Amino acid sequence: MKILEGNKVSAILLLLISLVACILSGLRFLSMHQKEEIFPCQALSEKKMLSSYFPGLKNTNGDTEVYVFQGEEKGANLLILGGTHPNEPAGLVTSVLLIETIDVLRGKVCIIPRANSSGFTHSDPQEGNPQRFDIETPRGTRSFRLGSRLTNPVHQWPDPTVYINPAGQKLSSMEIRNLNRCYPGRKKGFLTEKIAYGIMQLIIKEKVDLGLDLHESAPEYPVINALVFHENSAELAALALIELQGEGFDFRLEASPPNLRGLSHREWGDEARVMAILLETANASHGRLKGKPSSALVVEGRDKNYVKAYKLGRLFVPFEQEGIPLKLRVARHLAAVRAILRSLQELDPQKRIEIANWPSPSQVMEKGIGPFLNSTK
Amino acid sequence: MRFFYHLIVFYLSLNLIWYLFREKKFWSQASAVLVLIIFLLRLFLAK
Repeated sequence: MKILEGNKVSAILLLLISLVACILSGLRFLSMHQKEEIFPCQALSEKKMLSSYFPGLKNTNGDTEVYVFQGEEKGANLLILGGTHPNEPAGLVTSVLLIETIDVLRGKVCIIPRANSSGFTHSDPQEGNPQRFDIETPRGTRSFRLGSRLTNPVHQWPDPTVYINPAGQKLSSMEIRNLNRCYPGRKKGFLTEKIAYGIMQLIIKEKVDLGLDLHESAPEYPVINALVFHENSAELAALALIELQGEGFDFRLEASPPNLRGLSHREWGDEARVMAILLETANASHGRLKGKPSSALVVEGRDKNYVKAYKLGRLFVPFEQEGIPLKLRVARHLAAVRAILRSLQELDPQKRIEIANWPSPSQVMEKGIGPFLNSTK
Repeated sequence: MRFFYHLIVFYLSLNLIWYLFREKKFWSQASAVLVLIIFLLRLFLAK
């Protein structure tokens, strides 16, 4: 064709190069869909899918595993959520650690390790984050995905200019893909709203008494090393705080603001009337002041920029040369959940949860996470 | 919605390929290819 009078040889060559680049990078991106394996301990009663509580999630990228541990005696029912934000790895790792170790003697414990499973299938654009981080165990290396705070736009698109969430709050556009802004969810909403709706259905159908949502935040963020509580769990959170301080863990209490809608600690309490607490630890790989992002930063949590920022008084947590490693962040979550459960028993002995083989926070800090993880089915 | 998204991205990708074969300067072709990679990844919903 006369109109195509350009340099055809270089055009074909460049087109081939672009196809090769597409295939190589596409395979790399698609590898994020491969889930990390979880090896539950023998005490696991049942593994379900979230779609068994809300069939609208079936065969979608929002469907996710629910691990149920039923004790022999009746007690309270607990929900633990990890991976609401897949770029906050302590929530995922703490959940996996519990699934692979605990034995529930009284009450029921439901654990969702990857609450927003779609968020695990991609990483945040322009952040340069690693796709995975590794944890060494005595039986080999376990690899975990470091996803995005938000649902994958390939699975939910487009974002509106202004998002009005199911609780009626106006938010910026991309918050429509943030699971922790979409509660109580919508039955016929976008994918993230459906996930939130599915979790609400689980809370109702499993008669959950206490819901815990495990998060991480940047060291420069004021709500950090905190228990964020709904007003119906104020006493529980206060008692847990005393216990944690007695163990040497520095936490602070943050009341869930009544006018900040769509978050787990607000809507679980308002809509489902369950005691709701959100836990935050400090993660340097999550912050804006960090240096080069790497899987070592995620696991070891050392960053010289944060050491400098701490010296300048810009942080809300102490940050020294040794950093805040993942094992410490997981240990803090373990200690906080255990303190909350002990406080629940103190407030209402009938509604207590007894769990054997709870991973000791001090041992996790001393030996690392690896020795507590399984490597076989 | 996804159908229209694919249609738009497919149309833009075809335009880029058309430009690639019409352009005489190598570096302009290379620039087009850099954009084309992103469009193809979107077209196949890899990213």
